[in-house]
This record gives sequence, structure tokens and C-alpha cells, in this order.
Amino acid sequence: MTAVVERAVERREGFDARVLGVEVAEGLRAILREPTALFFAVLMPVLFFALFAGIFGGYTSPSGLPAAATMLATYGTFTVATVMMVNPGVTVADDRTRGWLRVKKVSGTPIAVSVAAKVIAALPYALLSLLAISAVSLLVAGPVLDVGTWLRLVGVLLLGGLPFALLSLAVGFVASSNATVAILNAILFPMSIASGLWIPPEMLPGVVQAIAPVLPTFHLAQLALGQLTGAGGLGHLVALLVSTVVAAALAGLAYRNLRV
Amino acid sequence: MDARVLQIEGVRHRYGALTAVDGVDLRVAPGECVALLGPNGAGKTTLIGLATGLLAAQEGRVRVCGGDPRSAATRRHLGVVQQTMGFPTTLTVAELVRGAAVRAGRPAAAAGPVLAEVGITDLARRRSAKLSGGQRQRVALAMALVGDPDLLLLDEPTAGLDVAARRTFWQVLARRRDAGVGILLTTHILEEAASTADRVVVLHRGRVVAEDSPGGLSARLADRTLTARSGVDVVVLRGLPGVLTAVRDGERVRVTSAEPERVLRAWLPLDDALGELRVEGAGLEQALFALTDDRSERDDETMGVPA
Ligand SMILES: Nc1ncnc2c1ncn2[C@@H]1O[C@H](COP(=O)(O)OP(=O)(O)OP(=O)(O)O)[C@@H](O)[C@H]1O
Ligand SMILES: [Mg+2]
Repeated sequence: MTAVVERAVERREGFDARVLGVEVAEGLRAILREPTALFFAVLMPVLFFALFAGIFGGYTSPSGLPAAATMLATYGTFTVATVMMVNPGVTVADDRTRGWLRVKKVSGTPIAVSVAAKVIAALPYALLSLLAISAVSLLVAGPVLDVGTWLRLVGVLLLGGLPFALLSLAVGFVASSNATVAILNAILFPMSIASGLWIPPEMLPGVVQAIAPVLPTFHLAQLALGQLTGAGGLGHLVALLVSTVVAAALAGLAYRNLRV
Repeated sequence: MDARVLQIEGVRHRYGALTAVDGVDLRVAPGECVALLGPNGAGKTTLIGLATGLLAAQEGRVRVCGGDPRSAATRRHLGVVQQTMGFPTTLTVAELVRGAAVRAGRPAAAAGPVLAEVGITDLARRRSAKLSGGQRQRVALAMALVGDPDLLLLDEPTAGLDVAARRTFWQVLARRRDAGVGILLTTHILEEAASTADRVVVLHRGRVVAEDSPGGLSARLADRTLTARSGVDVVVLRGLPGVLTAVRDGERVRVTSAEPERVLRAWLPLDDALGELRVEGAGLEQALFALTDDRSERDDETMGVPA
């Protein structure tokens, strides 16, 4: 038998931020190099926004704000929810069915790091979609928000995307990639309509208005609108936090059933 | 300090009613290369899965570099090629190998030399979606090597490799072995494994049926092959005393046996025309075949496993 040779390999142990960096870079490359999947997730809200802002943008909403401004909040909610709800879950399901998640697991990458990276990598895309609708709004209605308000709006929307990303992961952990797309869209669209993201809640039937308060999209939209009107949003914030906890619990539950 | 980089003790794994790994003991020391052989379904991949911690041992104990293979910290010391593994189609070869280096706690710059070592520098900028089967296999090997692991677990690493790539593979492996890396690999190409492996472990139906040096294994079975031109039905031959296996190859028949004289005494009266008789030492392939062929009725017999 060959003689035993002492090996001394210099290796980083414990949490290594470079691993998160690699994972985020991989996530961003996946989006940039194969953009078709997310293209529709951004294009749809932008087209919808262009259409409705073109029609109603000049009106004034009941709150006294120009409709183009309130629509930035509601359609912004819709775009962010779409990107955060579709991207992390679909890519996790893809990685899983492809066998890549197994490769990463065996390499000692904590799944929590992979998951965090998926959410982080989706953020620039969500931001991009917000920039797109803001540009359309500028074209159609001119400047309706001051810069500070707009920045607050964007910040709230991006942070508020977290529960949607967690819900997305919960589905992506257990369903196939095709099923994940179908399931997430089946949740997203009714939720968006019922929360008044497409048409103002006041114009929806009473039944739908009654269920809106249990939907995270509704509370994110209200919180976003609050940035424009100055209305207090503590209740909506609490509701969003509760949604985040529930989504995290669902994701945790799904993670325990994760088969890599 | 434990001198073993892999320690598998009395491990059992069941998939429902099927026992895929049935009480296996296996150790790999630093600087040792162990080849795991056995027919399809023998339990090789399951055993590798237990060693990587992807599967939990339902019975027995698995230790890797002194740690639990299910912990992320231990896994950083492992280099693994899985039998089926997938890469994101959007990443290039260089990105994949650099990522593997970082995941193992090593600098990303370690990728360059390993790409060269495995002979895929010219593929560095190619997307994984555009790789051929053998190229993918080489990328997988580079990803396993780049972390400078203490233990390599390679499940059919030569599957799909051409002759030149296989030669490179065994050279790379011998170099790592000599540098003190422990290696456990599965393969179906026995003769090749024999040139690099220090030990061959034959798995059959989840059990170790033989464990020896490659030379020892073939020596033990050296007097076992009889070939002859004969018209006697192989089914009849298999019924003769002392016959382990009988296979027809055109006009000729190949019989393996531990007692060639006894076989001949029974065979000759059955066939006046028996000719071109040759008795020779069995190659490793035949030895393996004899060990794992169900018709040889040796299933429950264990050979050469140290008590
Ligand atoms: N996930 C699974 N569920 C149920 N049975 C399984 C599973 N994986 C493997 N098996 C069974 O366990 C046995 C051992 O399989 P394993 O993949 O370990 O064999 P192997 O020696 O690697 O074979 P091969 O040479 O074909 O790769 C086989 O009978 C197989 O059908
Ligand atoms: Mg296998």
C-alpha cells in the first residue's frame, strides 16, 4: 500500500461570504443569460400599466392624488409580487429536478445560503421592472411623485417582496418546475385582482372586497399607497409581517420534504 | 487521530422492501485507492450516497475524515462525482469549476490549474448546455478535484470517456492518491481499475462478496477458465460438478471452475468432438463475472473478507 502522506490543505471553514457571492452571481447569470422566463413576468405588468395608465392616468383618484401616482403603487406591487413570486421558486425547482441542488448539497453549501441567494438575485430584476413602469408613467403622465417619495415607494415594495419569495420557494421545494410556474401563477393572478392591483378595490364586487384584507398583496399595496398619501400603515405592516411568518413556515415545511 | 478518511461500519440501507446495502464494512485510508465493482443494481451508488451523506444510514455508522458526512463542514473535505448530476445550463465550465473551488473553501483561482490537469482548458468558456457527455463527465471530475479534497468519492467517473480521456483520468487519480488523497470509485471497467486501485471490493446484492488487491483477486481465481470448441449445451455444462459458469461464444464454450480437472472428466464423455481445449487463468473480468453471476450459486458465499 502507498505510504500515507500528510496533507495540509488551507481551507476556509464555517460561514464563507464568498459562497453567497458565488450563488448570487450564478442566480444573476441565470436571469441575464436566459431572460425569457422572467421577460414575461416583467413585460406583462409593464404592458398592463401602460394600457391602464394611458386610459386613466389623467384622472384623479378618491385620495386626491393623480391616478398615475396611485397606479405606480398598485402596479408596482403587482410587478414586484410577480418577479419575487415566480423567480426564486421556479429556479429552485429547476435546480432540484436537474440534480444541481444535490451537487451543491454534497459540496457543503448550506441550503439556506442557496435560498437567500435566489431571493437576492431576484431583487435587481424587481427593481428593473419598477424602473420600467416608472419610465412609462413619466412618459404618459409626466412627473407625479417627488424623488424622495418615489425612493420610499421603491424601498417599501422591494422589502415587501419577501413573503412572496418565501411562498415561491415553498412551492419550488416540492413541485416540478412546470407545476411550480402553474401553481404560482394560479395564486398570483386572483390574489392581484382581488387586492385591487389592476382595478381600484372600490370598483370590485363586495365579496371580493371582503376577502382582500387576508391577502398579502392587498397590504403591500396599501403600505405602498401610504407612502404617497402619508396615511399610517402600521396595521398593514403587521399584516405583512404575519404573512412573512406564515410564508416562512410554509417554506420550512416544504424544505423538510425537500428531496434533492 | 483516525487514520481513515472513510469508515463504513455495518451499514444497511433499504428502499422499502428492497435491501440495497446489506451490512457493508469498508475503509479507505489516506493515499489509498479502492475500486468498488459489481453488476448493475449491486448497491454501489447507494453506498456512495451513504458516504456523501445524501442518504442516511438506517443501520451502522459512516464517518468521513472523522466527521459526519451529513454536516456541511465535513462535506467541504469531499470531492464527489455522482452517477447522475446536473449543472445549470447558463453557466460556463470555468464558472462551474470556480464555484466548486469556493464552495470547498478554496480560492477561485484554483480552477485554472485543475482545468489544465483534466485537459479541458479549451472548454473553459463553453456553456454547460453545449457540452458532450464525456465533456460533462470531465467537468464533473474537475469540480470534484478543485477543492483539493481529502477523500474522493467517484461514481462511475469514466462513464462516457474516450480512450485518451480515460488515460488522463487514471494518471490524475494516481497523482492524487500518491499525494495522500483517499479514493473510492465505482467502475465497470475492471482491468483499468486494477492498474491504479490498491484494493478491489466486489459488491453483489448489497453485500461485499470479495475484497482483495487486484493481483490477489485474479490469482485466487487464476486456474478457472476452460475454453473449448464443443457442441454441448451450456445448460448441460452448468449442471456438471465443479462448473461455476458456462457461456457460449459461437462454436466455443467458456467455462469457469475452481476444479478444471473434475470438470474435464465430466465434460469429455459428453462430447467426442471436443477440441481446441485451453485452460488458463481467468482475467479479472471473468473473476468478477464468476463472483457475481447468479447462476454460479455463490451468492451467499463470501470470499476473502477478513473476519
Ligand atoms: N431511490 C430508489 N428507490 C428505490 N429503489 C432504489 C432507489 N435507488 C436504487 N434503488 C434500488 O437499489 C438497488 C441498488 O441500486 P444502486 O443504484 O445502488 O446500484 P448500482 O450498483 O449503483 O448499479 P449501477 O451499476 O446500475 O449504477 C437496485 O436494485 C435499485 O433498483
Ligand atoms: Mg450506480
